[in-house]
Amino acid sequence: MEFIRKRGRRTNLWPYLLVLPALTVVVCVVFVPILNAVSMSLQNYDLRRPKLISFIGLENYIKLFADRQFIASLYRTALWVVFGVGFQFVFGFALALLLNQEFRGRALARSVSLIPWVTPGVLIALMWRWLLDGNYGVINDLLQKTGITDGNIAFLAARATALPSVILTIVWQGIPFFALMLLAGLQGIAHELYEAADIDGAKSLQKLRFITIPSLKNTIFVTTMLRVIWVANSVDVIFNMTEGGPAYATQTLSVYIYLKANTLNMGYASAMALIMTVLLLGVSIPYLRSMFRDQGV
Amino acid sequence: MKKILSTLLALMMVLSLASVATAEGVTIKYWFWADNDAYAATMQEMIADFNATNGQGITVVGEQIPWDGGGYSNTVFTAAMGGGGPDVASWKLTATPSFVANDLLAPLDDYLAAWSDSSQIETSLWDVMRTAGGGDKVYVMPWNTQVLYVYYRPSLFAAAGVSVPTTYQEFLDACAALTKDGVYGFGMRGAKGGQEPWGSFIHARGGSFADLTTPEAVQGMQDFIDLFQKGYTPPTAPSDGFSQIIDNFKSGLTAMTIHHIGSSAGMVETFGDDVGAFVFPAGVGQWTSMGDTENVMFASCANKDAAFAWLSYLATGKGQETWCKVTGNVPVAASVKALDEFQQNPFMKVSIQGAPYAGILPILDTTTEWISTVWPSTVQQALLGEITAQECMDTLQAELYK
Repeated sequence: MEFIRKRGRRTNLWPYLLVLPALTVVVCVVFVPILNAVSMSLQNYDLRRPKLISFIGLENYIKLFADRQFIASLYRTALWVVFGVGFQFVFGFALALLLNQEFRGRALARSVSLIPWVTPGVLIALMWRWLLDGNYGVINDLLQKTGITDGNIAFLAARATALPSVILTIVWQGIPFFALMLLAGLQGIAHELYEAADIDGAKSLQKLRFITIPSLKNTIFVTTMLRVIWVANSVDVIFNMTEGGPAYATQTLSVYIYLKANTLNMGYASAMALIMTVLLLGVSIPYLRSMFRDQGV
Repeated sequence: MKKILSTLLALMMVLSLASVATAEGVTIKYWFWADNDAYAATMQEMIADFNATNGQGITVVGEQIPWDGGGYSNTVFTAAMGGGGPDVASWKLTATPSFVANDLLAPLDDYLAAWSDSSQIETSLWDVMRTAGGGDKVYVMPWNTQVLYVYYRPSLFAAAGVSVPTTYQEFLDACAALTKDGVYGFGMRGAKGGQEPWGSFIHARGGSFADLTTPEAVQGMQDFIDLFQKGYTPPTAPSDGFSQIIDNFKSGLTAMTIHHIGSSAGMVETFGDDVGAFVFPAGVGQWTSMGDTENVMFASCANKDAAFAWLSYLATGKGQETWCKVTGNVPVAASVKALDEFQQNPFMKVSIQGAPYAGILPILDTTTEWISTVWPSTVQQALLGEITAQECMDTLQAELYK
């Protein structure tokens, strides 16, 4: 039963049968919703007007590219991801290098540094909202006590400071992720490489450039790609700090999608979500190609 | 073996008897939101009282759902569309069109026709309920209302030599005069929910929600912008929501703010006698927002008679009195309004004074989106000087009536 003959060859069916349950689950929870989203994006699927739902072809997509908020949200998403992930990486790398050194209390420092990563996004957003509060926030208090400012700054109510404020928050949250992953990578680098470099008279920066970074190349690549996808999709921090405001100043694409879906315009929200999926696939493809190349697929 | 079989048989008989006993009673799942833990506890006490006294074997099971800045309505909508919603739920009128459009609510007309207490509720309120449902049927049972008014600090007024405003212009002047020594004259709500106090400015200049682009309505918007840009409100006003305006008032940062009687207990607890209230004063026109809270029965409810018994307990029964006494909301039942406790409360008096001018936003299928995203984002743009008052009102008009 477990073998069938195919062009004179015996094919083992067991592997396929064993994969089938997992495949069924993936189809049901991933592919069916994606197909559903594609279908909704081609309809004026607005649950506020259910009797008017009908097929409209690419109209939602055409509307999107004439929607100034969509274009502006796309631009803000780019800033959010580039600065958010960029600073997370820089500070995470620095923290990983620090935690890779021998010093007293290193185990405690490693544990404590994980706190932002294990704290729920909603809690982080509320905490930073209070820290940055324009009337009672600790940050305003510190800035005034140190003489840097002479009055309160409405960080989350002014266009110039709102986006940097939410980026600061996501950076604080994501540093431990990079630190943790890069630290694991650092510990896997052979000491002999550094010893050889020492003998050759290499300086610290040269060792970083020619040994550490090349050795961490794959880790950096994978962690950055994952974080780009997560941060681009992130809604919790922005929504709980500013709800995308003031005046759209912090409305990224994921927040815009959430707001549209939340007001029951599922067709339009699906169209935006699919465009975002395509954009994120663009980020993932180099990684997938690299992974398949390494595996010889 | 025989022993096991006989035990199983006995167990099955007991279980079947138990199921018969349960079938005699009726359970109603009720979803509600509460502004704080004390209100939630009060609701559970009311439910316990109803369960003990209804005499029809009805058991209401109350589940508190977070208000979530208005996200409550979406939570209920998602649950109802997915088939997991409640039998009865607390309600905001603005949510009605999308639920009616999806056939999720049960019409109450037949029950109301046979209900002797319906005359306890004003005819005008029934008209509002009918309009919200599209005009043909009543889907929403009134429960209580909250009329917005202005809270003020008498001591700050005295220090600034300002009297309680009796006209709109005096109100604007007071905002300026009270702004000094680290205190702002007016606690403006520029985030979600701010459309309610904002509506008073539009109407005071002679504008209305029917056409937001008239010169009068635009002037009202300009006044709103001027208050912020001239520094008579905290600089955080564009992002200030409910909790911020209340905190700012309670901390002494603002001398006036607009909210309803639901905040009065906390205000009195903070300031004692040093807090008062007045109706938003008249200009060319006068309007204040009537916050509404109702209850609805869902079309999927299997025990509609029992659900209506619970609805009526809340609207005109003991539930009406208990809830309004604890929350300070304005009752809808005439018999409860007449109680001494409501007649003597100074904040209730102001609420009742404002009631003739109280109204609601047009209930359209666009209203929820307009309130939750369009109004805050567009008005914030105007406050921050990115668009003019006219551009702001053009956008608000186009999005509300699209």
